[in-house]
Amino acid sequence: MKIQVKCYATLAHHQPGNGERFSVESGTSVADLLEVLGMTPEAVKVVFVNGKHVGQDFVLSEEDRVALFPAVGGG
Amino acid sequence: MTSPHPGPKSVRTVDTDSDKGKTDGKSMLRQKDRERYQRQIGLPEIGEQGQKRLGRSRVLLAGLGGLGSVLAASLCAAGVGFLRIADRDRVELSNLNRQILHWTADIGREKTVSAGEKLAAFNPEVVLEPRQIAIAEDTVQELLRDCQIIVDGTDNLESRRVLNRASLKTGLPFIHGGINGFNGMLSTFIPGRTPCFECLFSEFGGGSGCPSVLGATAGIVGSLQSLEALKYLLGMHAELLTGRLLIVQGRSMTFRKIRLEPNPACPECG
Repeated sequence: MKIQVKCYATLAHHQPGNGERFSVESGTSVADLLEVLGMTPEAVKVVFVNGKHVGQDFVLSEEDRVALFPAVGGG
Repeated sequence: MTSPHPGPKSVRTVDTDSDKGKTDGKSMLRQKDRERYQRQIGLPEIGEQGQKRLGRSRVLLAGLGGLGSVLAASLCAAGVGFLRIADRDRVELSNLNRQILHWTADIGREKTVSAGEKLAAFNPEVVLEPRQIAIAEDTVQELLRDCQIIVDGTDNLESRRVLNRASLKTGLPFIHGGINGFNGMLSTFIPGRTPCFECLFSEFGGGSGCPSVLGATAGIVGSLQSLEALKYLLGMHAELLTGRLLIVQGRSMTFRKIRLEPNPACPECG
């Protein structure tokens, strides 16, 4: 299935070139996706799917928009 | 605010209040205010009425670090009427790459004192209330008293959670910002109208500790937060950064907004 993937801030170097139409297997979770993209679970602090905060155990669906963030909590 | 020259002692002596009381009547701005704020009163969104509105506004600014320095200076310069500034920390040498209200001579001093001196000299028209205190459950209600808006200059998840809960309890908007390295993010949370901070950051919450960060990043994000605060205080409520997270990526110079949805299972507002 195809999903959209955006890696933000210090995760930007993990952004796949085909992030607008990224292919993953059906049943892929956020944690699985991180592994495919070469990210450690600890590096990803916030995950939004279609604008909603989800955990890394969240199972993705066709056309989902996934946004991945590191900690952006300084001030 | 960025001049390296005058130390706190010299700025403390500044007093430009010589024409206090010279007004053109109760409903008019004083002549010196008209001059001080001339370059923003000219904006159709502000005008004299908007400037008076800012002059009646009351703001809680939580945190006087990188974001808080820029927020405080910007809100003060724009002429908000009352600014309560809260922080528990003292100035450290490692703050000075980004916390532009605190200067080398301020190391070891309370941040509220250091900031308060500069702000008072910068714009003596603003009523400042420095509070050297932690942002916590048992302090926040008092810190919020009589304020219209909560502005986030904090640097940690727990303080932001406290501010978010207080925002939900009182209905006051919460202008959130966070930074890390070349990057930052911000959003305006309005209870009942938008997702809340906890909806977005409930599990990991943007992290804590001492991230590396550039002063320029704090400048960008703090300035954007202050724009949001000023728009809210001016009544420009239809054009706020609500239901959206603005992501600032300084390396690629990209600004992206992503739409946010409330979390029905949010422990705070769900």
